[in-house]
Formats: sequence, structure tokens, C-alpha cells
Amino acid sequence: MRSDLTRFPFVKSLLKNRWPQFLVWFVMLAGFLFAILSGFFGTPVGNRNFGIVFVWIAWWAVLILVAVPFFGRGWCSVCPIPLPGEWLQRGAIMNPPGKKPRWFNLRWPNKLRNIWLQNLTFTLVALFSSVILTTPKVTSIVLAAMLFLAIGMSIVFERRTFCRYLCPVGGFIGLYAQAAPMELRVKNKQVCLACKDKPCYNGSEAGYGCPWDVFPGGLTKNTYCGLCMECLRTCPYDNISVNTRPFSADLSKPSGRMDEAFKAFIMLGAAMIYAGVLLGPWGKIKLAAYSVGSLSWFGYTAVFLAFIFGLLPALFLGAVGIGKVLTKSTLALKQSFTAFATAIVPLGLMFWVAFSLSFVLTNAAYIFSSLSDPFGWGWDLFGTAAISWQPYLTSLLLPLQTGVLVGGLLWTARTTQKVGSKVNISPIPVIIFSTVVTLTMLGLLL
Amino acid sequence: MKNSEQLSRLLITVGLLIVIALPFVARSVDTQDIVEVHARMAESGGWMPGTIQAQTGIPLYLRLTSDDVMHGFAIGQSDNPAVDVLPGKITEVTVAFDKPGTYTYYCTRWCGPNHWRMRGTIEVTGNEMPSSQAINPPLYIKLNLDIDTPHLASATPAVIPDAQRGAIFSALLPDSYLLPDYYLSHSPAQVYLDVQVDPALATLSNSDLWGLVAYIWQSNTTPEGLTEGQRLFAQNCAACHGETGNGDGVFSADINALAGKYPANFSDPASLLGAGPALLQGKILRGGMGTGMPSWGPIFTNQQTWDLVSYLYTFQFK
Amino acid sequence: MSKKQWFFAIFVVLAGMVIVFAPLPVHATAPTQRTFRVEASQYTYSPAILKVNPGDIISIELISTDVVHGLYVDEYGISVTADPGQTARLTFTADKPGSFRFRCNVTCGALHPFMIGKLQVGPNTWLWRASGLTVLAALAILILRPSPPKAQVT
Repeated sequence: MRSDLTRFPFVKSLLKNRWPQFLVWFVMLAGFLFAILSGFFGTPVGNRNFGIVFVWIAWWAVLILVAVPFFGRGWCSVCPIPLPGEWLQRGAIMNPPGKKPRWFNLRWPNKLRNIWLQNLTFTLVALFSSVILTTPKVTSIVLAAMLFLAIGMSIVFERRTFCRYLCPVGGFIGLYAQAAPMELRVKNKQVCLACKDKPCYNGSEAGYGCPWDVFPGGLTKNTYCGLCMECLRTCPYDNISVNTRPFSADLSKPSGRMDEAFKAFIMLGAAMIYAGVLLGPWGKIKLAAYSVGSLSWFGYTAVFLAFIFGLLPALFLGAVGIGKVLTKSTLALKQSFTAFATAIVPLGLMFWVAFSLSFVLTNAAYIFSSLSDPFGWGWDLFGTAAISWQPYLTSLLLPLQTGVLVGGLLWTARTTQKVGSKVNISPIPVIIFSTVVTLTMLGLLL
Repeated sequence: MKNSEQLSRLLITVGLLIVIALPFVARSVDTQDIVEVHARMAESGGWMPGTIQAQTGIPLYLRLTSDDVMHGFAIGQSDNPAVDVLPGKITEVTVAFDKPGTYTYYCTRWCGPNHWRMRGTIEVTGNEMPSSQAINPPLYIKLNLDIDTPHLASATPAVIPDAQRGAIFSALLPDSYLLPDYYLSHSPAQVYLDVQVDPALATLSNSDLWGLVAYIWQSNTTPEGLTEGQRLFAQNCAACHGETGNGDGVFSADINALAGKYPANFSDPASLLGAGPALLQGKILRGGMGTGMPSWGPIFTNQQTWDLVSYLYTFQFK
Repeated sequence: MSKKQWFFAIFVVLAGMVIVFAPLPVHATAPTQRTFRVEASQYTYSPAILKVNPGDIISIELISTDVVHGLYVDEYGISVTADPGQTARLTFTADKPGSFRFRCNVTCGALHPFMIGKLQVGPNTWLWRASGLTVLAALAILILRPSPPKAQVT
């Protein structure tokens, strides 16, 4: 079922050599800076501003429709945000690290070695999303803040703490990477056990120790592996492989972590709220979501938080509880909850795909105009500045969204059954829960 | 290894510097001799800049863009057609001035209750004689009319006066009523009172007399003038005064909240028939009256104001 | 999978095809002329949900109450623009059944891309079909339980 891509010499050298990755990084960093600049100095009109259009329409489309479902953390391997910080941290871009750390090189506090902070940062971005998504300056501030935060954290802490513990995007990419048909693993665990220096974790002349603070020999799921390819470079035994694999491979191992369980609910709930608020016909809710600081916004915030952190997990917990009663399970409720929460990962991903399809297809036309006139200064670099707005492929939208959501439900239901048989709890109530939320999502989108 | 480290550093510093600098260099070359004008809703600052300097005989290149919603651009009292100013897009206009003076440019697409506050000035200097239109005092000042007090008609018709009915008796009408000066300075109600006591018209009924009044108004306008008046009304007045002149336009509630008064209702005969053309023109030109009415003097040409006035009376006359 | 499960799977697929493609009885309603007075303001239409019957002749009177707005109907590809104070009219025949979004097509501020309404021509068939498919999928999975995991060969 798995196929090691590094057995092709061309692929292997492409991944192992630093230059291909660096060149992609360079282009991404240039685009990233360009996006920040256009937000600050270009037109304040969102749909004509490069920053907004390329981040929230083009990049988002590629990320959620292609990169995450098919390549998992593929985006993280070319994301430009850690680059400047890492240059500072290591004192080099390509050269091997020095013997002594250049800065504080602190370890990340144990208490924070989870994704609760990422849950928090994503929730914050989600709460302000109506403003961030539509206001070039705010998008630029957020992007710049991420860049500077990553730089600052690279100086204070060791490795990529920003990516691993703070990045609002990295959190959900990691969650959904479990479902992706792509993984980085070791070929033979025995080799790792026998390996003394563990250069993949500690670094060597050939490259840096894992920036994601992961020991590749212990990898069992994709969540925290950033696909940065350092271990491929440092492993002296050529023991690292990059595999294609069946979809959802990691999900057969139910998670026992509450932070990961809640990540799944945050994502599922946020996709539903977005579908209702942004794509629905209810103008008052849109205004409430946009009027940050107003009374109605606090109302919106309360509903948002209550839905994501209250209603959705509570209903789910109820379903898990009924399943426990049905099968007279003695497993602790907490474990049962986190185990089954793993099963709704595919559903959440498909919710996001369904929501984004509609959002992206109806706004994709802006890509042409802002490509030619990124700042709204009247340029026409590629002759596409005058292409006017028009939704694309709306006739395919409803069948596509239906297919994606029904597929997501099938996927999640199947995963639920697998989890159920693993923990000996009836999966039926959780499948009913998933069916109900899918019907709700259908009602919001169609 | 050493070489690739240096190459990568070079690429990332120089390359990124170019990415950052290029757009700004290109822009500074691109915008020489051009005035860039940003349009924003009046609440967010209106036009930026609000004052533009120009010289007679030298073309003024303007690059217009909107920072929020759709706006329009036109220069008051000029023949240049209005152009749309679209959010995030550039509209280029070239304007030239023959005569020095202060010109008003203004927004032509409604962008909220304060749309009409979106005005700026172009100060044109030069050696030519300044434009004469501004020097002429408007008629309401020459006639010493008070445009701020209420002007209730002392008589109103029972049915809508019909100019065609009036035309039947137009042969009886002494010529003095048809003189432009008479029409301009009298309200329909005053004219009605005049014709009512005119011995030449003693045989006519009330509705015939009102028909004659409508006829007088009709003969002081042209179909083209009315069409132009209708266009001006729809574009500039209907948002407050209502598309049917009822004073119930989409912003009437905002006006009431702002000024404590609803916009004038032209379907009310007591009010409109008590106002003569010069009085209405005065209100249009100067605005104010404590009602939130904008001043259109710097915007409309003299002819446009008269066309608009003629059109207003169609809310009362057939 | 056992033979029984294969038959069941084929049955589910067929049932799914029926749900998606089965022609529904058409309630032939005599086409009527319908006029909607739709007020557009940042960033909403009021009313935002218009329900009509297939074949109806629809006339939408669009009234902008703050800035210039537009109304573009997905799939129908028709649009109209209204300035405050100037009612605009969009007249068309609702000859495509289904649920469609209509959207503002004149940039009207930050949330402009999300200024959305719904035109429903006839019943929302897709929603019913999709819901049917969802329930079928859930039932199929519940009935078609996975066979006990085979011993993993590594």
C-alpha cells in the first residue's frame, strides 16, 4: 500500500538538495513580503488588493483544496515564515549549524507542549476573520505579526516553536495531515534504535536537527512532522522515506489528546459558522461579525464560542456517552471522547473543502485583476487587469459540494467504526451525530 | 557549501530588496505630472486631496480611484461628462480650464446620506478674465426673495391643473402673463390669484384658470428641458426627495435624524404652488434652510437649475 | 467482502443513483408575474430569500438605501445596478429550477463579496437529493459494517 518516493533518485536528490527548496522558499518569501506591502501601500479595497486576493483566495484555495488533502503538511515544507528567523537562529541558511547555539536556545515550556495555543490563535483569527479577510491593512498586520513572532521565537527558543506551537494555520494542517496520502517515516525502526548520535534530532555536518522537535524514528502520525526534509539530509543510514500511502492512514490510531480533539471541533464548527455567516443570506449576522467591538459582535462571539466549544463537543460527548451505555463500555469518558474525535477529522476537512469551493469559485476572478494590478495603482502587467468579476462554475458547485460532504460523511463514518471496534464502543450514535451535522452543513450551503 | 551559503544569502537579500523596491520605483516614475485623487465616503474624509491647483491652458491629469465604494467624478458647471470612480480601479481624466477661478468637483454617484458633502475645489490661476457666471447675482437675490420662510400657497386647485385644458383658453390670456420675467418671479398660486381677478378671464371656471396657470408654466419650458430636469432630479434629488417627489427618498429618515425635518414633499400643492421659479432656483442654488439641503450653485449650470425647476412643477401640473 | 455485502453495496449505489437522478413529479403551476421589492444596503438584501415557481416572470425592483449596489443572479448570469434614489428593475423568466445565490456585483465596501441572497425557483431539489444521499450513506455504512480486521502483514 505504501510506496517510497525516495527510491527514485531524481525525487530523492530534489528533496535532499537544499537548493530546490530554497528557491521555492525564496519565491514564497518574495510573494509573502509583496502581499504585506500591497496591504499597507496598495488600495484599501480588498477585492482589488494583491495581499487579500492572493492570500485568502489563491493561497487558501491551493492550501485547502490541494495541499492539505493530498500533501498534508506539504505547505509547511515551503512556508516562508520560519526562514528569516531560522537564518538568525542558525547563523546560516545552507551551512551546517555551529557547535554552540547563537542565541538563548531555550526549550519550549513543558506545559505548552501541546496545541492549545494553536487552538487559541486559530480561534482568535476566526473570530476576527470578517475583518482580516476583507481589509488589506489588517491582513498585512497579521502576516507581518506572524513573521516577526516567528523571528522573535527563533531567537528565544530552540527549533521552530512558532510553527509547532503557535501558528494558527499549522495547527489545523497538522490535524488534517493525518488524512493525507503522504507521509515521512523511517524505513526500519531497528536502525534508529541502533543509531547512537541521532543526527536527525541533534543535527550534524549534513544538516539541522529536526526543526519540529520530532524524533523521526518515533513517527507514527503526520501531525507534527513539518516535511522540512532535514532528516532526509542528516540520516547517515539513508533510513528516511517519503511515502505515498492510503488516505486517512493515521486515523486508525485514535488520538488520546484533548487538545487535538478540540482542534477537530474548532475546525468543524468554524467551517459551519463560516458557511452560514459568510455565504448565507443573513446580513445582520454578517454585520455583527464585521463590527468588531460592538455589542452585536460580542453577541456573535458568544454564539461562536458557545457553538464551537460548547454545543458541538457537548452533543458529541452525548453521542459518545450513549455509545458507551449501549456497549456497556468501561473506558473513561475522556478517552472515549478523544478517540472518537479523531474520527471527525475527515468530516471537518471535507466541510472546509465544501465551504472553500463556493468561496473560491465565486471570487477567483479577482485573481486575474489583482495579478496585473496588485496595488490597485492602475497597472496592467499581464493584460488581465480589466477582467471583470464573475462567479465561475457555479453550476458544478452544488453537485460538487454534495459529493464532498457525502464523501466526508462516508469517510468519517468508516473511521468512526474503526475507532469503535478499537475501543469497543458502539459507533452508531457518533455516526448519527456526524449525519446530523452534515445535513446542517448541506442546509447552510445549498 | 561555503559558496552556496553566500549565494543564498545574496539572493535572499538582494532579491528581496528588489521585490520591495521595484513597485515603488515604478510608481514614482509612473505618477509624474499626475494628480492622484482618492475618493472616500464623506464620513471617511471625502476627496483626498480636497484642493487641487491648476493653471489655465495647461491640461490637468487626474488619476481617480475609490478607496471604498463606487463614486463618480465631475466638475461643476462644466460640460465634461461625469466619470465613474471605481473601488480599487483607476480612472484617468484630463481636464483643461480656459478661465481662472475656483471650480468645484463633486461625487456623482450616491454614496450615503452625506454623498453631497463629497466635494473638492480646483483652484485655477491664469491671466485670462475670470468666468462671468459667478459674478451675476442669482434672481432670488435681485428679487429680494426670502427663501428661508415657509411659502404656503394661498390658493390650491381641487384637481391637478391640466395645461392642455389651459391651452384651450390661451387665446384669452393677455400676453403679459407669458413674459418670462412674470413667470419667474411669481408662484403658481400668485398667478392664479392674478388670473382670477383678470376681467379678460372672468368667464372661466376655477379648474380652467388653474389650467391656464399650468399652461403658462408649460409654455416657459421645453420637452428637452423637462427631460434634462427629470434626469437631474433622478440623479441628484430623488435619493432624499423620493422618486415620485413625495419627500420619502431612501435617505429621508437620515435627513430627518440629522436636521429634524423631512425633505420637501413636492406632491404637497400647498408648499410647491406657493413657490415661484426664482424662489425654487434660490433654494437649489444656495441650499441650507436648516433642512440639510445641499447647495447646488457650484454644481449646476444656470440652464440646468431652470430645467430642474421646470421639472419640479410637473409634480403638480399635468 | 462477502457476496452478500457486494450485493448490498451495489444496491446502495443504485439507490444513490435513484436519489440523485430520479425525475421528480413536476407541480405544474401556471406561470405568474411576480414583483419583488428588494432593498439593498451594506451588506444585505431585504428580503434576501426569494421563492418563485419555475416559469414565473420575475421582476426585481432593486432599491439601494446607502451606496451603489448590484444584483447578479448565479447561473442566470443576469445583473442590474441600482443607485440610491433610482429604482432599478431586473425582469427575467425563472426558467431554471433550483436554488441560486444572487450577489452584489458592484464593490460596496469590505463585506461586498459576502453580500448574498437566495433565489429559489421551485422546491430546493438539490437539498432534498443531497440530504437523501447523506442519510443513505450513513445507513449504508451502518449496515455494511467493516469485516473484522485481517492480520496485518508487514
